Amino acid sequence: MSVTRDEVLRIARLAELEVDEETLPELSEQMSRILDYVAQLSAVPANGTVKIFVPGPDAIRFRTDEVSPWPLAFGPAEFAPAFKEGFFVVPRLDQFE
Amino acid sequence: MSDAKAIADRLTKVRRLNALLTPSKDLRKSLTAQAAAARPTGVLYGMPVAVKDNICTLEFTTSCGSRILEGYRSPYEATAVAKLKAAGALIAGKTNCDEFAMGSSTEHSAYGRVIHPLDKARVPGGSSGGSAALVGSGAIPAALGSETGGSVRQPASFCGVVGIKPTYGRVSRYGLVAFGSSLDQIGVFGRSVHDAARVLSVISGRDPRDSTCEDRDPLRLPTVPESLQGFVIGLPREYFPPELDPGVRRACERAVRFLKEQGAAIREVSLPHTAYAVPTYYVLAPAEASSNLARYDGVRYGPRFNGAADLRSLYRSTRGQGFGPEVRRRILVGTYVLSAGYYDAYYRRAQQMRALIAQDFRNVFDRGVDLLFTPTTPTPAFKAGEKLGDPIAMYLSDIFTVTANLAGLPAMTLPIGRVKGLPIGGQLIGQAFLEDEMIEAAYALERVVPATDEA
Repeated sequence: MSVTRDEVLRIARLAELEVDEETLPELSEQMSRILDYVAQLSAVPANGTVKIFVPGPDAIRFRTDEVSPWPLAFGPAEFAPAFKEGFFVVPRLDQFE
Repeated sequence: MSDAKAIADRLTKVRRLNALLTPSKDLRKSLTAQAAAARPTGVLYGMPVAVKDNICTLEFTTSCGSRILEGYRSPYEATAVAKLKAAGALIAGKTNCDEFAMGSSTEHSAYGRVIHPLDKARVPGGSSGGSAALVGSGAIPAALGSETGGSVRQPASFCGVVGIKPTYGRVSRYGLVAFGSSLDQIGVFGRSVHDAARVLSVISGRDPRDSTCEDRDPLRLPTVPESLQGFVIGLPREYFPPELDPGVRRACERAVRFLKEQGAAIREVSLPHTAYAVPTYYVLAPAEASSNLARYDGVRYGPRFNGAADLRSLYRSTRGQGFGPEVRRRILVGTYVLSAGYYDAYYRRAQQMRALIAQDFRNVFDRGVDLLFTPTTPTPAFKAGEKLGDPIAMYLSDIFTVTANLAGLPAMTLPIGRVKGLPIGGQLIGQAFLEDEMIEAAYALERVVPATDEA
């Protein structure tokens, strides 16, 4: 299988990632190779009865229901790229897609 | 107690490795302040521990080896770091790593590649290559790293040091920058089994701030055993393929003889789904990464790459310019395998395979095997640039380490000899939450194996 240039662009839009025109051929070539490589998983018979394995605790542990703020050493004004009067500042949304 | 200036001097002497991202001046100043404040009763009092740059610290910036977090100061610190400080340890700066821990050579850092401490033409492994190189150079006794697919054990093996990845849920991940959340764990590097184990024991244990961290007491440090009498150690045949590097094979065979001499019973076993571990990993990890890395959008933190007229192009230009090529590739692959029409073929299949890989281990452990012994990596440290053009070749250097991450099991590497001067690591894989047994076996092997001799 191979990933076309248009597919890379479609996926990049989904991922909100700008890709340069000149890197497109290399990117589609590498994505194709990676996806071809992982496609060997399909050689294994799909087994609907396999229970999905996720490590970690079997159940979510509940905490006591009380407000206990973990204070930050400093506020967002110090790490945000643009912050004004308690808000993160961004350019306007051009249009809804 | 080593004094702050001496620690800073030792780290400054190995600047050529490009292993430390913290400027010498900042490091010296912070170490002096930390030493004055450190609790003299702590079990790690005065011990310098360097921390991988994807673990949040208040003392230093946390860039994850990425331009997209260049200069970022976290307003909180990781639980593991807080525990180290409470035990009297000194945080000895932030170590260089592959961007967002994605890589196996530490060549994918936005701040330049890390140099192998014994051979400047080679890589230290990755992604925690900076931590491994610093411990390997002898500048510090221990460091923190993180693992998603082998990012502590693989570089530890390349640099001739001890590296431990604990059981998933053993150490809190609060303050570890997320990559693949069903796989990520903080791990430790040490110049000896004891140094690594005591740091692990300090950072382990319950944390209400991380719901994936198990409600357990910190790891109890085992004592050095008299012998390995009663231990059954399995050798999975899939980890000793015909194409295994002959030097690695020789070193492993010698280590197995030492394990036997120490009284362990050796049994050949099989983990039949091993060959599918790397493809499984390279579906699941990028899928989780594509979701976790959605938060870097130039709005709330990190630099903003401008020229953006509207919000959407702000996202796209910041992410496009802020992420390096390997991270971009993985975000795209991850988005692809989760997208409509491909989810079942890739993501669901990989999840099923992960369950089969975990079952392989349970089958072996259920039949009376206590631990597994394998090579940590298929080859010694490779040359810089050798695998950069071939992502699959790079991914395959994690072939013996990803399985423990997929199954959530504890695993560690220790140096078992050298081949043409390059360190070889032997891996022990243990049962969930039985790190103490694994560490006991490592103590016994470390005591007898001539780790710096040619195998």
